[in-house]
Amino acid sequence: MTTATAPRRVHPLSPVAHAGQALAPLLAGVVLAGQGIPFVGRILLVLLALALVAFFGWLSWLRTSFWFDADGDLRVSTGILFRNERRVQLSRLQAVEVHRPFVARMVGLADVRPEVAGGERAKVRIAFLAEADAHALRNELLARSAGIRGDAQEAPVAPERALVRVPGGDLALSMVMNESLIVAILVGGVVVLGALVSGESASLLGLFLAGGIPSVGLLSGFLTFYDFTVAESPDGLRIRSGLLSTRSQTVPPGRVQAVRIDQPLLWRGKGWVRITVNVAGAGGSDDNDAGAILLPVAPYAVARDLLQRVLPGVNLDAVPVHGVPSAARWRAPLQHRRLAAGSDADVFVARSGWLVRRTVVVPHARAQSVRVTQGPWQRRLRLATVHLDSTPGRITPMAAHRDALDARALAEEQLVLARAARRSFRPEHWMTQPPDPGGSPP
Amino acid sequence: MSVPVVDDAFAPPSTGWRRVSTSLATARRLVAVTVFGVVAVLVVVLVVLVAPAWAALLAAVLAGAVLAWLWWLIGRQVAAIGYAERADDLLVTHGILFRQLVVVPYGRMQLVDVAAGPLDRRFGIARVQLHTAAATTDAVIAGLPAAEAARLRDQLAALGEARSAGL
Repeated sequence: MTTATAPRRVHPLSPVAHAGQALAPLLAGVVLAGQGIPFVGRILLVLLALALVAFFGWLSWLRTSFWFDADGDLRVSTGILFRNERRVQLSRLQAVEVHRPFVARMVGLADVRPEVAGGERAKVRIAFLAEADAHALRNELLARSAGIRGDAQEAPVAPERALVRVPGGDLALSMVMNESLIVAILVGGVVVLGALVSGESASLLGLFLAGGIPSVGLLSGFLTFYDFTVAESPDGLRIRSGLLSTRSQTVPPGRVQAVRIDQPLLWRGKGWVRITVNVAGAGGSDDNDAGAILLPVAPYAVARDLLQRVLPGVNLDAVPVHGVPSAARWRAPLQHRRLAAGSDADVFVARSGWLVRRTVVVPHARAQSVRVTQGPWQRRLRLATVHLDSTPGRITPMAAHRDALDARALAEEQLVLARAARRSFRPEHWMTQPPDPGGSPP
Repeated sequence: MSVPVVDDAFAPPSTGWRRVSTSLATARRLVAVTVFGVVAVLVVVLVVLVAPAWAALLAAVLAGAVLAWLWWLIGRQVAAIGYAERADDLLVTHGILFRQLVVVPYGRMQLVDVAAGPLDRRFGIARVQLHTAAATTDAVIAGLPAAEAARLRDQLAALGEARSAGL
């Protein structure tokens, strides 16, 4: 066991960065709510609010510190009135994110978010550090989690190699080629047309609906995923993106719980797909879209190659899948032709979807429990659904509407395969273990 | 390490299902009768006040029929709950209309909850819930006799400890 390190403070400019984040909502609030107040008054109001935010930010800066305890785990102490000390068990570290919100980035700061399984209550954020310190802390967290202990402040920087970079043009085009966007534009267009026919007054609202809401979504998606890069390092996958605010997420090997490859209808012509992942503790139920996206858009071949890096030794196209009986057409008339599931020694694969084609991949070593369910209608058709429970996230793996007997056999088979996989798979302390023979290629 | 052969999607494992205590049905019936009974009496009284006698009689007969149906349904639901401990995993099944079978490998259990409300304690039963890292794992066994619940908890905890496999 090592000795505990001295407590460290966050960066003194942190209150400024916190205040900066509050600026946009404050301005919006004052503009919307402060109709009767003269202009100078509004500016004073904003300044006063900012000063308050900064003051509390300063108080919280005084009271925030972090260190590594004698067990080598991260401790974060926060709170002005109510003290709160969190312990992040690094053997359970699932991912580390370095986030640079726009204002913080302007003053050269970044926050560090170690992600451990355990839902919203377990979320820890160290805000803010100088960028270099944030990266050093990230490296230190990953190194300690990987089993490299010691008092060394300087954790080794893992060399990285770029795997995929999403071109800005592709990203923009892929976001425009979106069914819900097109539906929104069509609906908005109808509203505008109706307004033009009936009179002037409502057309502004129609224009707003037609153009405003979709383009805000489009713009924020573009800003979030701009310059999306996936790189490989011994620490794991590095996922970077963002134009104004940027984030850099590191997912150590073996932390990906489930993968889903989606192909929306309009992307078929281009052969594009999107990859979503479940990582315990990351990108859970909150609106943080970015945490769950491994690749916002890429040609299928690129996605398949990336998948091989995430799940070593898995060739998606080679996994045998079997369709569902024709009775399934009465339960799932649109997608029954696409429904298929199967597995090889490493992964479970399920295909589904009608307009959006989905392929879900779950490594056997990561499946939690297995469920077989059957509703009354399914029972009449002698069908049943097999669920492979994964950690909370965007992906809920299931093989829907299988033949009832086949479903139970499939479930039992997954259990046997998962048991075998668990025996040979230990992701904790990955750097001190002998390398996996089927691991990443040179 | 072979995959068991089954002839029904919800067939019991070779050891058969262990069923839960019928006290669970009694407890649930008590709750149903109390809640539904209060509502039914109120409705019947209301009907007596505003409508002719035959309408009140009809309401009373209807309420009685619903109560009988609930009585029967609870009995069937409780009888459909079953669990089985296999060498490597725990099986839990429940449901009649919507049937479910959940299999939780011991190595995947994060924690085991035992809970007993006041009514449960009065009837000497408890519910055991298994949690994995997945929120969708729906492994609840209600209506276990208190001693069996304690035994199962200790057994599961020991097996989970021995086979724990991270996330």
